[in-house]
Formats: sequence, structure tokens, C-alpha cells
Amino acid sequence: MSTPPPAFEGTAELTAVTHEIIQGKLLSAVDEMAIVMARTSMSPVIYEVLDFACGLCRADGALVAQANGITLFTGTFSTQVRALMRRFGDDLAPGDMLVTNDPFSGGTHACDFALVRPIFFDGRVIAFAVNVAHWLDVGGAVPGSLPPDAGSVFQEGLRLPGIRIARGDVLIPEIVRIITENVRMPDLALGDLNAQVATLRVAEKRMLEIVGRYGLPVTQASIDRLLDDSEARARAAIAALPDGTYRATDVIDGDGATDAAIATQVAVTIRGDTMTVDYTGCPAARPGPINCSRGALESAVKTVFKALVAPHEPSNEGWFRPLTVVAEAGTLFTAEKPSPTGWYYEGSVHASELLWKAVAGLVPERMSAGSYTSLCVTYIAGEGGDGRPFVHIEPHHGGWGACRDRDGASGLIALTDGDTYNYSVEVIETKFPLLVRQYAYNTAGGTGAGRFRGGFGLVRDYEILSDTAQVHCGIGRTRTAPWGMEGGADGSCNGLDLLSPEGGRTALTRSPPRALNRADVVRIRTGGGGGWGPSAERDGAAIAADIADGFLTPDEALRLYGRTGPSDAAPEALHA
Amino acid sequence: MIRLATDVGGTFTDLIGYDEREGRLYTAKVLTTTDDQSRGVMDAIARAGESQGLDPTEVRFFVHGGTTVINAITERKGVRTALLTTRGFRDVLAIGRGTRPDLYNLRAKTPDAFVPRHLRFEVSERLNAAGAVVEPLNEDDVRACAEACRAQGVETIGIVLLHSYANPAHEERCAQILRACLPNVTVCASHEISRQWREYERSNTVALNAYVQPIVQRYFANLERSLAGGRLAGPYYAMQSNGGIARFDQAARAPLTLIESGPAGGVAGAARIAQVLDEPDLIYLDVGGTTAKCSVIRGGQPSLAPDYKLEKTRTSPGYTVQVPVVDIVEVGAGGGSIAWLDAGNRLRVGPHSAGSNPGPACYGLGGTRPTVTDAKLVTGVIDPATFGEGRIALDREAARRAVATIADPLGMSVEEAASALIEVAEETMISALKLISIQRGHDPRDFALLVSGGAGPLLAAKLAREMSVRACIIPTQPGIFSAWGMLAARPRIDLRRMILAGIDDGLAERLPALFAELAKEAAAYFGVDDAETLVLTPLVEGRYRNQEHSVAFDCPPDSSPAEVLERFHAAHRKAFTFDLPGVAAELTTIHLQVEAPVETVPVPRSTDRSSAPPVPDRHRPLYLDGQGWADSPVYRREGLRPGQTVLGPALVEEATTTTLVLPGQICAMDPTGQMIIREEAAC
Repeated sequence: MSTPPPAFEGTAELTAVTHEIIQGKLLSAVDEMAIVMARTSMSPVIYEVLDFACGLCRADGALVAQANGITLFTGTFSTQVRALMRRFGDDLAPGDMLVTNDPFSGGTHACDFALVRPIFFDGRVIAFAVNVAHWLDVGGAVPGSLPPDAGSVFQEGLRLPGIRIARGDVLIPEIVRIITENVRMPDLALGDLNAQVATLRVAEKRMLEIVGRYGLPVTQASIDRLLDDSEARARAAIAALPDGTYRATDVIDGDGATDAAIATQVAVTIRGDTMTVDYTGCPAARPGPINCSRGALESAVKTVFKALVAPHEPSNEGWFRPLTVVAEAGTLFTAEKPSPTGWYYEGSVHASELLWKAVAGLVPERMSAGSYTSLCVTYIAGEGGDGRPFVHIEPHHGGWGACRDRDGASGLIALTDGDTYNYSVEVIETKFPLLVRQYAYNTAGGTGAGRFRGGFGLVRDYEILSDTAQVHCGIGRTRTAPWGMEGGADGSCNGLDLLSPEGGRTALTRSPPRALNRADVVRIRTGGGGGWGPSAERDGAAIAADIADGFLTPDEALRLYGRTGPSDAAPEALHA
Repeated sequence: MIRLATDVGGTFTDLIGYDEREGRLYTAKVLTTTDDQSRGVMDAIARAGESQGLDPTEVRFFVHGGTTVINAITERKGVRTALLTTRGFRDVLAIGRGTRPDLYNLRAKTPDAFVPRHLRFEVSERLNAAGAVVEPLNEDDVRACAEACRAQGVETIGIVLLHSYANPAHEERCAQILRACLPNVTVCASHEISRQWREYERSNTVALNAYVQPIVQRYFANLERSLAGGRLAGPYYAMQSNGGIARFDQAARAPLTLIESGPAGGVAGAARIAQVLDEPDLIYLDVGGTTAKCSVIRGGQPSLAPDYKLEKTRTSPGYTVQVPVVDIVEVGAGGGSIAWLDAGNRLRVGPHSAGSNPGPACYGLGGTRPTVTDAKLVTGVIDPATFGEGRIALDREAARRAVATIADPLGMSVEEAASALIEVAEETMISALKLISIQRGHDPRDFALLVSGGAGPLLAAKLAREMSVRACIIPTQPGIFSAWGMLAARPRIDLRRMILAGIDDGLAERLPALFAELAKEAAAYFGVDDAETLVLTPLVEGRYRNQEHSVAFDCPPDSSPAEVLERFHAAHRKAFTFDLPGVAAELTTIHLQVEAPVETVPVPRSTDRSSAPPVPDRHRPLYLDGQGWADSPVYRREGLRPGQTVLGPALVEEATTTTLVLPGQICAMDPTGQMIIREEAAC
């Protein structure tokens, strides 16, 4: 059956069914990109954390379809593509590929390498294929390129802010050499670069198949309709919420340079079918690297906006048209060059959570109470028994907040990530000179009590089997616990302890590299989520079940709930 | 001798028997008995006896596929299960991998573990990644666990200790102690089911295996008793998920291998058709009432999935288990799938299905929403007079009314809406077909498409055209193809071992010894002295250093390091479009597929040939997209003789389904009874 099916007339009208089919093909194209990426990448941060995203943008840069394993790239593509369009203008040819990892032109941090390929049809650009992926190391002050105490972006590795990296579908050797000479693990960088290039080829092939089959006008009409439909549905969802201004405040625990508390705030205004999220009044960019740039701030806001209006629909630019993000330039959420932004997701997650906290009471059917928030990323690096260097980079999973109708989820990845796998103990011990002593629910840390309680965080202990290892980390929410809702108690805090065999204990937060001795234990504890509703209203059977399952001791149950099960009458005092 | 297969599905239990002496076929379809599926099986045998004279004493080979395992799991009706783990790791089962695939859902949930926390017990012991003992097993801990399980009324215990894939000694000792302390409790250790790393996935595997094991043991015992009572002597085989079969006693030791028993039967049948037609590369599609499932046969062999994710959806990570399961992509589009308009007035089809009750609107059993079957009736592909041999009277007007509920808001005629509905359902199936072919590195133009299931032949010709496959095959008995496929399956076991070493680190030299060890294990499983009497297919899985995922490829054990490396580069290139020649590569797993070389169901070739144009049974109006209504010839499949061809547009009817042949296509009857559709332009 080698004869191709007859092509549709290019001028045919867009029917409902053709629209549906084109949309299905666009989504499978970006899904296919993601499958290739996850299966060929060499960086655990890509294949386990899924710290990458693939997508297609229209010729004007508008996001059409996206496959993302994490939320951090929600809507970053359009800004990046438009920045590249401004830089390159007409100076683009079929087979070109561009690269950018500049945090200050729509990007996130220098580790995130975005590859962009213009797709040509009939001699002009009809779309852009985009793939952004977190490279394990891009040079800079420490392995992994994220010094927790970085003072400027220059310590955070190589930047290639809008550079042509391929012509005629062939990588330009000079540019590749700049990369391989400036990163610590050139094999990995090359492997991931090749994986990204492969996905862009897939995208171009699929896009041209669609246009070849349905014609450009019909394809464009379908994309326009998609964006307009999404916009209309987003407006309807916002219009259903009561007009008003809703505020929230929160505290960020330290920036890496100091442990000082950083007060943040938001005012969310709903008027008709529009929403304005205003961060005016937040502090200036911090000396430490938890700052995010405006591109990352917008992504953080879009993440929660999407959760609010259409959590299960595919992303595209249409959804975000009713949204305006306001913030002065140069704040910790709108940092500018040369502010350090390596740990930007530790700052941007608070921008997300402020919006979340401000509207949680308005849409309880879509929201939960506060979670452990911080990805609590740890880097354990050194030399293995074979003399080869290793870096074990790991985000940690923790407790989520309770919902209005059920307990929170335990041991789940933070908002900024997504389809992110925890690391298999057996795999870690095969690759690295580490022995995991426990991986368990952090019952000692506890969770926010309530009618429904928060989910539990986790505890993971690494015993060091190397004489040359060191650890650095970026742990947030070490003092300010996740917030409870409607009278539910706050959750518990995250922390990292260094335990020596002699009984010493040192707590780390957002801390630069520190040497480890053989037999030291690195203990990562993540917090439990906030509770929802007064603890006096908790079902006694649920309390008894938590005791039976070892989540609570009877003493803790009495302290938190005043009873240990359904048989005890709820003491009146608790209602007072 | 008679070969007999029974396939228990959600609604019906299918029976197919084949008498090799006279080439006679027996078929029966009865309602599935959900409380004890073995009653339905015996009903089907009795029905075939009454209506067709099937004599159970003549049966020399009995194979059974069923849903006992998957039902017990999906309905959460397994037994009270405990899990024994390494100290510090009892929560691994519940923590899972901590993923949140439902990215924008701020009320995220994790799947509940199959063993609650108070039944997960820890023992002091520890091995390292090399399998060496870091801390010896504390046997008192194991005995304390036995006592706790006794007190809690536990019926089955799974054991999973860290790195047991590398060294099972501690697990073996735990099992020994527990079996001695608790003779009435079923005990299984993870290494007995899986020798792969990743503690969560192996924990899930052993927990789920334990959860269903006593149920499966009882079920097979009942069925064996009933069959023996019905003078059906066996041997008795169960259809496994790897496309092969195992004796009841073997299957009951690792019942989780039965999890996709039914679909695997179809895949085994597809492999047999591949062999018979000399079409070694096939894409197989089975269209049921609620879903469509597809799989790939390469070189005449089913492909196994790298991992199997039970209950995985776009919003839930599901439960990953480590058992060999044929690689199946399933989508929520089938004959009963319901069409609807979403909030943006977009036409969607599925995943909701009208099922068999009320069924499609045209069944007249109370369904009012339009389904794929209704659309096929409205467009004239299905004839209400002959559908299901006239057992179910179809109501064409009810179908039109149902389709009108979407036609009106879309501003279309009923026929246009029915065509649109079918096209959307087809698009869902096409995305699944692409996932199983293109996204696994296969070019569909090198494949033929084999389509089964009651609704499959209604859609096959269009799907084949859209996928640009070489040919489209409608097998004999498309409505009970899974059962037929079970007759074609051979006894099979898949043995896998983790290795993890660089290809140039002396590993290639060790391969013959490693495979020889697996061959020895296979010989013991099949009870033969010499593994060379078995059909052995050695595979290895490799990756570039630092990659996580591996690519599987054929590898004769005596390959030189350079050959292994070249095979790996080629496999990576094929799967992902690129290779990295200078980068170090390593092997992670060796895998020996082993089959017993037994004869399976014969597929006789007819010597009868005819080049005469076939005579249509009648004509009836058919609506084709873009062409409107026109009279189309209708043929009876049993009236077509080998060598005869039917020119599209045409319909070919048989007892369980109707095949649509499109304009520009030719449908030829093969000497083995399969129908083969090709594009006229390609002939």
C-alpha cells in the first residue's frame, strides 16, 4: 500500500473533524519528541527527573503544543522563540538550529539548553520546533554548575544566548567545540545535544506531513482555532470566579548567601474574565542564586493559572491570554543580568505558591493546602572506587497538603517538577560509592493535622563509601512550614543533617560544598504538608488507622487530636 | 487429536477447537461466569458438545486464557497479603517512584499500595550491589514476622530484599523459615519472579504476585477438577502474557505472568499468521468493544515490553511490574466507544464505551448516545438483517437518532456526522498504531497489518491505507482470534539477568557462559536433559554509558566484542535515529527466550483455486465519505474461493463481522483462508 492517500485541497475549509485530527497529530508529534528525549538522554536529570520539554510554536512564536515532564517550562517557549526571532530576523535557512540558555531572554538558568529549529515550507518559516533540557553540567564554579552561594551568573557556567549551532542539519564544529571545552562532562553534553537534535528532526518531519496532507491554510486555521478556543475557555473559567483582589504572603527561608527570612507577597485581581497577578513590593534581587528572571516568573504563574482553568487540557498560548503578570524589574522574581539564577526554581516556586495560596479558598475543588515546596536538591560528588569522578544529583520528594475532602499525598515531587522519578536505591548503589541506610516516610517529622491531614515527607540516609566525597544542597522551607487551610495546622519543615559516626550532627540549608568523610551519613528529611480544616473534626477511624499504620503514636494522637480513635468522645475543649 | 482453547473475556467466554484429523473446527460463545470463570469454561465445552458434537475425550491439548488475575487486581479482591523487606525500606512499596504525571493537578494523589503499612515488616539484613553480605540476616526478625502474620490472619507473604537479583540467598532463607513456621500461608520471594534491579518495581511485582497467588492456585485446582470430571484429560496449559503457554502448575508459581493472558493469545495468533503467510513483520490490531490494542510481530516473534505498567493513565503512574508481557499499546476506542462534544464543541470519541449493556443505541437496549457501531450502521457498512447472524435485531432509526445528537450541533447531516465520528475513532487507533511502530523505530511500510476483533474488519481497510502498510490481513475467525491464537502458542519461558558491564571490559567473552547458565535453568524448567533440544533466542540489552534506558537486540552468544558493539550501535540508530560511535557502551541485561519445539495448530492450504470473478450475494447502499450513497456489492466470505478477488468498494460478510473494502483496494482470498487487502495501485 505504498501509494500515499490523496492529499486534501490546500484551500479546503477546516471542518470539525479535520480540526480534531490535526490537533491529535500535533500532540502526537510533541509526545514523540518527548519519548525520544527520555529514552536517549544521558543525564539522570533528563531521563529520571524529566527536566526537559518539547514543543511546537507558530511562525509568530505562539506556543501550539507542548510535551513537558515538569511544570517549570510552562509557557517559556514563546518568549525564547520571540527573542531569537528578533535576533535572527530573516537570517534563517532550512536545516538551521539555534541554541540559547540565557536566563535573561525568556530562559530559566544556564543549565537549561534550548534548541530551536525553524521549520520551512514553500520557502518560509511556518513553525518552530523547540526542545529545552537541563544539562548535567555547563561549567562554572562547581560540578553541576549550580553553586548554592553563587554571587553572579558568571559562576553558573557557559552561556550561549542565541547562537546558530547547526546549518544544513549539521552541527557547526566550532560551536560544539566551545561547548565540549567548557563543560565538565563533554560526553554527556554531546549525548544530550544529539538527543535534542533528534527530537527536532522528528518534529519537523511530522509538521511537514501535516501541512503536506491538509495544506498550510487549513493547518493554520486549525491552530488559530485551537488558541481561540483555549482562550475562550480560560476566560469562562475566570469569569465564573468572584471579582475581587485576593492577597497572600509567604516567607522564603534564605537565599544561599544568607539564611535571612525573605518576605514575599502577591495581590491577585479577578475582574470579569481577566486575572492580574501582581508581585509589586517584593524585595530586590538577592545576592544568592534563588532569583528567577521574568521568563521563569511567568512560567511559575502560568503553572498555577493552568491548574485553575484547565488542568487536564494540553498547553498552548491561548489559555494564558486572559492573564497579566505584574512585577517591577530587578526584584528576586524579575532578576536581571548579572544576578545569579542557578537555583531559580527555589524562588519561582514561591511565586507559584503565593498565587496558589491566594486563590485556594476560591477554588477548593482544584487546590490543596501548602506542600513541602522546595525540591531539596542535593549534589553528592567525588571519586568512586574506580578513580572516576561522579556526581549524584537528586531532587527529593516530600509531603503535599491536605485537600478539603481527603488527606494529602505523601512522598510526591514538588510543584516545579512533575513526572519526576525518585532514584532507585539499587541503581544508586551500583553507580555511586553510597549505601542507602533507609528510605521511608518521615513519620518523626509529622504533618499538618486537620480534618484531613497533610501527606508525609520522606527520609533518606546516604552512608558515604568514598574518601573524597563532598555535598552541597539547596533546601528551602527549613523554618517556615507549609501552610494549613481553613483551620488546618501547618505542616513540617525540610532539613539536611550530616551525621558523623562519632555522633556529630550538622544541619545544612542552601549550602556550598562541604567535605565528607567515609562512613558519614547524609540524611535528607522532607516535610509534611499542611492540614485542611480543624483537627477536632478528624474522623476517629482515620486517627486509629494512622496509629495502626505507625504514622502516629497514641501520644501524638492525643496531643494533636485529643483522642486515639472513634470510641473516645471528642473533648469539648477542642471546639472552644 | 483435538486442540482446544478457551478465552474468558469480560462478557463472553470463547471456545475454539480444531480436530487435526479431519480439519474440523468447533466454536462456541457463552456468557462469562464472573464468580468462578471455570463454570463458563465448562459451559462452553458442553455447548460445543451439544451443538457440534465435540468429544472432550478426544482433546489432547487444552489451553486456557482468562481474566482471573487481572480481575482480582483491578477489583482489589486479592487475599490478605504481607510484605517482608530489608530494614529501613518497608515504605518503598507505597512511596513508589513519587511521580506526578498529572502536572497541573494541585490535588495530586499517589496510587495506594496493595499491602498496607501495618502488614509490611522489616528484617535486619543487607547485601550490596555486588550481592555481597554487608549485614547478615537476622533470622529472629523473620520468625517475629511469621508470628505477626499469624496474628494478623495473613494468607500470603511476599519477600523483597535489596539486591536479591544479584544474590537471592537471604530471600531464600526467609522463605524457608516462613514456610516452616506458616505451612498454610503462601510464600513467594521476589527473585522467584524477577531477577531485575529496581526495588520498587520488584516489590510491586512480588506483592501483586502474592496478592493473587492463592486465588489462582484455587482456580486452577477447580478447573482441573472440572475438566477431569468432564473427561478432558489434558495436558492443561495457561496462556501467559509473554505470548507463550505454561502448564497450570508452572503458571500458578508465578501467576502474575497471566496478567495479559487474553491479549497475548491474539499476539501469539498473529505470530502464527506471520509464519503461515511468510509475512514475518506484522502490526497486529484487535478492536474490541471498549478499546483497541496493538502489538508488533518482528521476524515472526512477538515483542516484549521493557516494563509493564498496570493501570497507568495520563494522570496516574499506575503500578510497574517486572514480568514479561508482550508490548501492547491500548487506546480507548472500540466498537462501543461513545461520541461526544467537548466544552469547545469539538467532536471526541471514547474513552467511555456503551459496553454490552446498554450497548450501542442500535441494540435497542436503552442506549441513546452514538457509538462507532451506530455510525457503521448509519453508513451502511453493517447490515441489520445479517448482523451477528441475526441474533441481535439492530434498530437503524435508533442509530440515526443517536448520531443526530452530534450532527445537529456540528451542522452536519447524519451521514456526515457518522463519517466524522468514525474518522475520529480511526485517528485514535492510528495514533496507537504509530506509537507501536514508528515510535519504536519501525517503518510501517515494511509491515502488514493484521486486524481482528468484531469491529476490526469494519475499520481495517481505512487504517491500512492511512498507515501505508504493505497489506492488510483479515484472518479466519476474526471474532475469536485471541482464542485461536492460544492454539498457536508454544510453551515458553523468558529468563533475564542483570549484568551491567562495559562491552569492551571482557564481557563479550563471558556471554557464552552466562547464556549457558540460563539455558541450564531453561532445561530444568522444561524437564529436558539438553537445552539444545529447545528453541533458544538470545537477546541482550545495551546502552551508552550514562544512559538509563537500554535497547534490546539479538546477539548470538559467540559474537566478538566488535560484533556486539556494532549490533548495539545499529540497534540504537534504528530506535532513535542516531548513534554515538566514540562513546563507551555497556550491556545491562541478558535475556534468553526459550520455547519448547512443539507443533502448534496447523493451518491447511486449500488446493482449490478459482480465477472466476466472485458473484455478489446481493447489493445494498453504502455511504462513503466524500462520495455519498451508492449501491455496493455484498459477498459472503464462505462463498469466496482461493484466488478470487473482490474489487472495492465492497463488503464481505461473515458470521461475526463485516469487512469493508474501499474504492481503489483489492481483497484477495488466500489459500489458507485469510483475506488480504491491498491497494490496487500497488498490485
